[in-house]
Amino acid sequence: MRAGERVRVLALQAASVLALLAAWEGVARAGWVDPLFVPAPSAVAGAFGRIGRSALAGLGDTLAKTAIAYALSVVLGVSGGIALGSVRALREVLNPFVVALYGMPKILVLPWIVLLLGFGTAPAVLYGTIHGFFPIVVLVAGGVRDVDRTLLGVARAFGATTWQLYWKVVLPAIVPTVLAGMRLGIVFCLLGVLIVEMFAGVRGMGHVLNSLANGFQAPELFAATALVSISSIVIVLGLDALNERLSHWRS
Amino acid sequence: MRVLVLRAVILIAGLAAWEIGARMANPLLYVPPSAVVPALGRLLALESYPDLPSSLLLTLREIVVAYALAIAAGVGVGAVLGLNRFVGRAYGPIVAALYAVPAVVWYPSLMLFFGLDAASKIAFGFLLGFFPITLAVLAGIRQVNPHMIAVARAFGARPAVVFAKVMVPAMLFTLVGGLRTGLALSVIGVIVGEILGSKAGMGALINHAYGLFRTSDYVALVCVTLVLIVGSDAAASLIERRAQRWTE
Repeated sequence: MRAGERVRVLALQAASVLALLAAWEGVARAGWVDPLFVPAPSAVAGAFGRIGRSALAGLGDTLAKTAIAYALSVVLGVSGGIALGSVRALREVLNPFVVALYGMPKILVLPWIVLLLGFGTAPAVLYGTIHGFFPIVVLVAGGVRDVDRTLLGVARAFGATTWQLYWKVVLPAIVPTVLAGMRLGIVFCLLGVLIVEMFAGVRGMGHVLNSLANGFQAPELFAATALVSISSIVIVLGLDALNERLSHWRS
Repeated sequence: MRVLVLRAVILIAGLAAWEIGARMANPLLYVPPSAVVPALGRLLALESYPDLPSSLLLTLREIVVAYALAIAAGVGVGAVLGLNRFVGRAYGPIVAALYAVPAVVWYPSLMLFFGLDAASKIAFGFLLGFFPITLAVLAGIRQVNPHMIAVARAFGARPAVVFAKVMVPAMLFTLVGGLRTGLALSVIGVIVGEILGSKAGMGALINHAYGLFRTSDYVALVCVTLVLIVGSDAAASLIERRAQRWTE
């Protein structure tokens, strides 16, 4: 993209967002929408101050659970993916089960998980892990399966041990797939944690959002929603940037 | 052949382990398969939940409306973003960034705005289905050969004709893939919405059974809902395969 066009794109983006906010503010001030349900942006901005501390505490709680779930799903997903991808018999036998579990809407087992683990941190971490694990395992298994056979053959011919084969050939070859899986997994983990907090939470951002909605506190609800959305976008863009830097470094 | 046998063995061993483990630990909590079968029978005979047909119908109706809205909006927005390069550059990243937000954060706002009835479920199913369809249309338009468009234009085709006769066939494969993902997500959106709070529909029945600790009825309801979900995906994959054959 040329510099001139980039400036114009940024200008259009900024102008559209501002115009949208202004139109929204105008509509709300003119009383065309019920402020009980659609508060003006200025009211939402004011609500940031009021919910500040409790929302930040909730966000911290949610992100901590997400971090644990994410670490678990990356570790389990990558190791499971390597096992499934490199052992052909394992892959052929287990593939339909993995695909079925991946495709199954996890929301249906949520009541059962809550029944087993109760309210609190454990069901959120488990449910977040389940959400993040499957996309990572499927992607990594595919990546390992597609590692260039000649590379493996050459390494073997030069007398590489199995350990060296994995450490020096397979792992570097699947780095892009693992990164893609990590990029996909984080949103799923956050989604899983938030759903549990909404369904049966006593803390965390999902619980905060739900209780604000039940209390008809629309400005606070919109402010809290914006807070979660922005942090999620920041995390994903951060991972994208890291991805980009690593791919530069690789080539 | 050996693979098939091994798969069957794993499946049977899993069910057997579940049955034995559940009976030894807590049959009420872990619901052995032997308890699911009679519960499923009672459910299908409309004994445990007489309003099963109306609930299924309501959920199905919510899905159809949500998905139809998602297709209309997704194709429209995707076409506008894809056909105008500048508009696409400006708004494409915004759509992609919003897609990076776990959609469930919007649900409390939707519930506040649309209430506990069908409208909030339709809105959430729409929202989930909208993004993959929009992004698929956008990606599909970008992969259409510009020469084909130029030729059609040179022969005097109007933009709408170019879109329908040149672009849609060329991007059909990507488009149909996006429509399939969109359907799956619309279905999930409606069901997530129902489970997070509703008065009617399959999600409400599931919540009712769970709340009263009627665990075997809960598993039976989950099975019926799964049939609905798998069935819709099977129909979508049938259409996808037909479209694939048509493009080849």
